[in-house]
Amino acid sequence: MAQNIESQAGVVATPEIIDPDPTKAEDYEVGLKSLNQWQLAWRKFRKHRLALIGLGIITVLILVAIIGPVLMPFSFTDIPTPDQIVQMGRSPFCAVYDAAARNCTSFALVHPMGETGGLQRDVLLLVVNGARTSLLIGFSSMAIGVFIGTIVGAIAGFVGGIVDNALMRLVDIMLSLPILFVILVASKFLGNGTVSMVIVIFGLLSWMGVSRLVRSLFLSIREREFVEAATAVGVSDRRIIFRHILPNAFSPIVVAASLIIAANIISEAFVSFLGFGVDPTSPTWGNILSGGLQFIALGNWWWPLFPGLAIIITVLAVNFVGDGLRDAFDPRSRA
Amino acid sequence: MTETSTERPVAGAPPRDDILLDVRNLKTYFRVMDGVVPAVDGVNFSLGKGHTLGIVGESGSGKSVTALTVMRLLDIPPAEIGEDSEAWFDGRDLLKLPESDMRRIRGNDIAMIFQEPLTSLNPVFTVGDQIAEQVELHMKVKAREARDRAVEMLRLVGIPSPERRAKQYPHELSGGMRQRVMIGMALSCEPKLLIADEPTTALDVTVQAQILELLKAIQERTGAALILITHDLGVVAEMVDNVIVMYAGQVVEQGTVDQVLLEPRMPYTMGLIESIPTVEKRGGRLSAISGVVPSPFHLPPHCRFEPRCPYRWETCRTVTPELYNAGDGRVARCHLHLVEATARREAAIAQHRQNMAMGRRFTGAPDRLGDR
Amino acid sequence: MTKFVIRRAIQAIPVLFGITIVVYGILLAAPGGPEAKFANNPRMTQEAKDKFIKAWGLDQPIPIQYCRWMGLCNPETEGTMLGSLPTPAAFIGPSGLPNFLPTVMSGATNGLLHGDLGRSINSGEPVVDRIARAALPTFILAGIALVVWLSIAITMGVYAAIHRYSLFDNAATVFSYVGFAMPTFWLGIMLIFIFSGPGLNILPAGGMTETRLSPPFGSDQYWAYFGQHPVQALTDIGKHLILPVITLVVVNIAGDSRFVRASMLEALGQDFVRTAKAKGLPARVVNFKHALRNALLPVITNIGLEIPFLFTGAIVTETIFSWPGIGKLTIDATREFDYPILMGVLLVTSVLVVFANLLADIAYGYVDPRIKY
Repeated sequence: MAQNIESQAGVVATPEIIDPDPTKAEDYEVGLKSLNQWQLAWRKFRKHRLALIGLGIITVLILVAIIGPVLMPFSFTDIPTPDQIVQMGRSPFCAVYDAAARNCTSFALVHPMGETGGLQRDVLLLVVNGARTSLLIGFSSMAIGVFIGTIVGAIAGFVGGIVDNALMRLVDIMLSLPILFVILVASKFLGNGTVSMVIVIFGLLSWMGVSRLVRSLFLSIREREFVEAATAVGVSDRRIIFRHILPNAFSPIVVAASLIIAANIISEAFVSFLGFGVDPTSPTWGNILSGGLQFIALGNWWWPLFPGLAIIITVLAVNFVGDGLRDAFDPRSRA
Repeated sequence: MTETSTERPVAGAPPRDDILLDVRNLKTYFRVMDGVVPAVDGVNFSLGKGHTLGIVGESGSGKSVTALTVMRLLDIPPAEIGEDSEAWFDGRDLLKLPESDMRRIRGNDIAMIFQEPLTSLNPVFTVGDQIAEQVELHMKVKAREARDRAVEMLRLVGIPSPERRAKQYPHELSGGMRQRVMIGMALSCEPKLLIADEPTTALDVTVQAQILELLKAIQERTGAALILITHDLGVVAEMVDNVIVMYAGQVVEQGTVDQVLLEPRMPYTMGLIESIPTVEKRGGRLSAISGVVPSPFHLPPHCRFEPRCPYRWETCRTVTPELYNAGDGRVARCHLHLVEATARREAAIAQHRQNMAMGRRFTGAPDRLGDR
Repeated sequence: MTKFVIRRAIQAIPVLFGITIVVYGILLAAPGGPEAKFANNPRMTQEAKDKFIKAWGLDQPIPIQYCRWMGLCNPETEGTMLGSLPTPAAFIGPSGLPNFLPTVMSGATNGLLHGDLGRSINSGEPVVDRIARAALPTFILAGIALVVWLSIAITMGVYAAIHRYSLFDNAATVFSYVGFAMPTFWLGIMLIFIFSGPGLNILPAGGMTETRLSPPFGSDQYWAYFGQHPVQALTDIGKHLILPVITLVVVNIAGDSRFVRASMLEALGQDFVRTAKAKGLPARVVNFKHALRNALLPVITNIGLEIPFLFTGAIVTETIFSWPGIGKLTIDATREFDYPILMGVLLVTSVLVVFANLLADIAYGYVDPRIKY
């Protein structure tokens, strides 16, 4: 604020009057050192307690997803024999289950999340294994969606005119379709139960929001002075997009991405739960839940409970991080 | 009629009968995440019945918060009002009144006009309804009479075809018209005190003059007292008898309008006056006070203007200034008015006169003042 | 206003047209196409297969199939031009007027434009009838859930905004976060488990009526039964409604109450609220007249956009609770490759979305005096 007085003033102060000291005045300013966008955002993110917790949970979940299958002492593809189907699992507190008397005879926390009926698997192990597929689908499909959405939005926003109109009508159409329904139908008809196919389908159906967002950002940023200035000095379009516009569009995209991850993890669980998504032989949280439902009449509450909690915790963590990022990148909020 | 701080009545006792509003040791804090911010820090003033007072200062100086505190319009929390603060109005301390009594005073005895007439009017109700609502509430009249009164008020503030305008929504009126509606609304219950918070800042210059004229005419006609909050010294010169200059939550100078504008005794006020662009100064640089208003988190410990002051010396950094008597009933919060600083004071005043005469810049970088 | 509605309706036409192309494209993208379903079905006679192929024009090039399915082309007119495009003659209906005109004028009855969405592959029933039959249960469930959740969400959001950072507000925030993260189907399963499981067993786990007591819902026998024992029938439906309604309500309150809260907070922070207080109005009037009226403006739009998705948004809930509505129809049709039904549901929903958008805009213009069309 206070600039060098001598150089600008051209007026010499009378001797008995002390010249104001610009550095001194600055001491009393807000005191924010000049930080770049990322440092500033990180400072603010760090103060967001829930976002930090969310980030911690996601980190743990990713680690679990990576090492989980190594711990798995059995194959998920084993098929229960008919006599196993009716067999009651053990609750988290039950050590010995008397099938004939239909109650627990000895109590101990052997399986922290209980044990399934049928093949009698440890639910904790199943949930840990499900994490890999469910997280993979959530994050990868988000990446595809954000990639497509950013490109479509950037083209629409930058080129404008007929191209913009056509692309945005396409988005209108896609958004008019009940998307969960389309995912269901596409998964059933096009999917072959493989994880990669599910990722592609989810990715191809989750870009519309991002494209609208990126387009509107392009439209608003394009009008801002610094882009006009860049255009005026002859900077190329590509450089304007990648160096000037996209960095500014980054934060809203990241926030939107967190919402896509959350939505896709839930949708995947539902689609797989219905048997339209990932092949039932590979563990995803939806598949595990689906298995639990067959035994629900027996009272195996722990079977569907824990995969569901895993979904809730994951989605909560992702949403918290999204909230933290939104606040961190919001120029109106201050650290 | 503005009293200096030296002749105040006893704390907790009402002021003389001819004093309409007596604010004593008003302190308002905001409790925010990073700590407590003092927005108003020990403000004293009083206003006689039918008199006019201007409160001047840059944005963030606490002038609006002062008014909102007196009106008790701040949300508590985050705001907090000092325990020994008092605001006597018409024989009662507003800060101690129960909320229901305070409600009967707001809009009825004290009315307020805000800066931004578009956002200050509710977009989904007609202007007539918004005036009538207040009339119905305070004057205890039927809806029909209230509507008539609203139309009458619109006519009073010079809105053509008021019957038709009363049925319109705020967005259908021009900025000046909206501010007229606000004034009409404020006057609808014949208040004893009118507080106008930057009433013309959001308006075009030509409209500003009209609104000020209207405000002055109506104030004279109804005999209501007026507090005019502004950062525009030109507005103050035309509108009020007495002036308070605020800086960083404190009163720094107080006197009649002539005293403050023509012979300021506080370097901050001098700077404000020197920074007014005039025709005589044409061709020269626009002057401004160097530096910025200090952050309320990092207030200078003693004189709050010291870092920006061209006339400061060691005392300013070591002793906290009081409101000193600066002669002829005016007061100034500046060590220049200590007896031992007589020479410095004379030099500063001389420098100010010279600056005004030569149209010279105050000091520091060209920077525009205040809210504009 | 009329001009605006007409303009918006005209703008909607390309979107609606695009929707039909996407829907048709999904059908064609399916491996094996529409006939895949019965390709290996031994119970399906050759005659029936031929009839289906003829009805869908599956022996024709794709543009002609689409043209007939839409009702633009007359299915009786054979022949192509440029290899795959319909001839100009194909656009003429039986009466000699263009085929797309209403039946009374063109004499044509085929295709979407004449309300013909084809027949279910499984039951042979017209798709329109099947959807209409499933719409009533969905309407009952979604309608009740909507009323309940909106009243709770608005009350909750407004109260939380007025008492910001209070215990209630914090509790509502936690509830919204969890509700937002909770998969609907999981909540349904858990509710079934708690209330219909071996422990409590006080509420039915699924369906719309007790099948042992009454004929299937929607049949003629059911309505006869309903006429004889209305109280019993209503109580029965009511009991079956409780869990699905709770499921829909809990999940939807989460998002909506946050929306209302944010909207109300924004309204409460506006200058005109300060003016209203400065006028001496009591807090009740300030909050519920001045602020709420403004806060509800965006909420109205939001509701308008949510309603059509209830139609299929209840897919999850209906599936879990075997509710015989559109959602369950969809899942069953998906399971059984019943294309005509799927396309019908997709189309109807998409059209509803487009119209709801239009309605939301009109409603917004009605409640917000600043908007003039």
